[in-house]
Amino acid sequence: MRLIIHDLDSGSLERLGSGQPAEVHVISPDSGPIHHCLGCFGCWVKTPGACVIADSYSGLGELFSRCSEVDIITRCLYGGYSPFVKNVLDRSISYMQPFFTIKDGEMRHKRRYHNRVRLRVIFYGDITPEEEETARGFAQANAVNLGWELASVSFYRDLAGVEGWVL
Amino acid sequence: MKVALINGSPKAADSASAVILKYLQPLLEQAGHEVVGFSFTKPQLGSEVAAGLSACDVLIFALPLYVDGLPSHVASCLQELEKRRAELKTETRVYAVVNCGFHEGHHARWALRMLRNWCARVGLRWGFGIGFGGGGALSAVSNIPLGAGPTKNLAQALRELVENLTAHSEREDVFTSANIPRRWYKLAAEVGWLMAARANGVRLRDLSKGRG
Repeated sequence: MRLIIHDLDSGSLERLGSGQPAEVHVISPDSGPIHHCLGCFGCWVKTPGACVIADSYSGLGELFSRCSEVDIITRCLYGGYSPFVKNVLDRSISYMQPFFTIKDGEMRHKRRYHNRVRLRVIFYGDITPEEEETARGFAQANAVNLGWELASVSFYRDLAGVEGWVL
Repeated sequence: MKVALINGSPKAADSASAVILKYLQPLLEQAGHEVVGFSFTKPQLGSEVAAGLSACDVLIFALPLYVDGLPSHVASCLQELEKRRAELKTETRVYAVVNCGFHEGHHARWALRMLRNWCARVGLRWGFGIGFGGGGALSAVSNIPLGAGPTKNLAQALRELVENLTAHSEREDVFTSANIPRRWYKLAAEVGWLMAARANGVRLRDLSKGRG
């Protein structure tokens, strides 16, 4: 399954040419109000594999486990994702186990699922060279942390540039 | 100088960020600085917080690393502060301590870069940041005096921060870890997960199982 996580206005993704075919799952601000992660680790030690916050985003870890492609479309904020997109990532740590492993000399969380995922990240907005450098490193760090392959990181000044990329 | 200590943890109590600020506050006061505490626990800043920060000469953030970056609620608050940047003093200097659950402090480098980029957007001066690994141990050792046992490296980094702040200088970010061997830290953390699960009535084998 392909998952698109984006922060665009209602209808924007469709206008960019993606439509919403059956095999694409979309998470956007239209998916409902999202509460921020409380750092309680309930998703690891209370209801393992699911966030304890009762909103539309409690099952993100399991949803990630069914993906082979994840595309993130986000406004670049200081070299990171926009608050909505980052919130989706923050709320998805049930995708991993609480237990640790050492990989390439660094501590990581063990994987709960072993699906192969290609991650593509597209940043849009007015982005400084320092923010672009940060964003590249940050996206790569995300991919390493999640055990995914970072297929591409792209930057566009406005949404017109995103057209055609989404399909 | 008037220094804002900003706790960026969403937790109202028992956060590693609160422990770091508890250690830092007396160091600042001993150096003659006035300290004011603030919390970013929600995605909304609140007008009193914005007004309070505008009266400070230095902002020091202590926050947890969330998925290699800033917690989303902190990003929201920074965005709100950017919109209200005219209210902040232009010479305000910014420091940060980002703690992470992994043992290596350098995982925090991108979050620190984001804070530095925020400073550039807002027109504030970036002092430097500390990436602190092994943050999960801090709540457990919060009664230990700063500089003892696992807090030795943290003490050195915080003292450098206070010296730097007092001298109005800047430097490269610092990455360090709790003074606990990584294998012990890993073991202690994993025992902690198991005990928490048991207390919640969760079967231990379910901690690593997938759903669906």
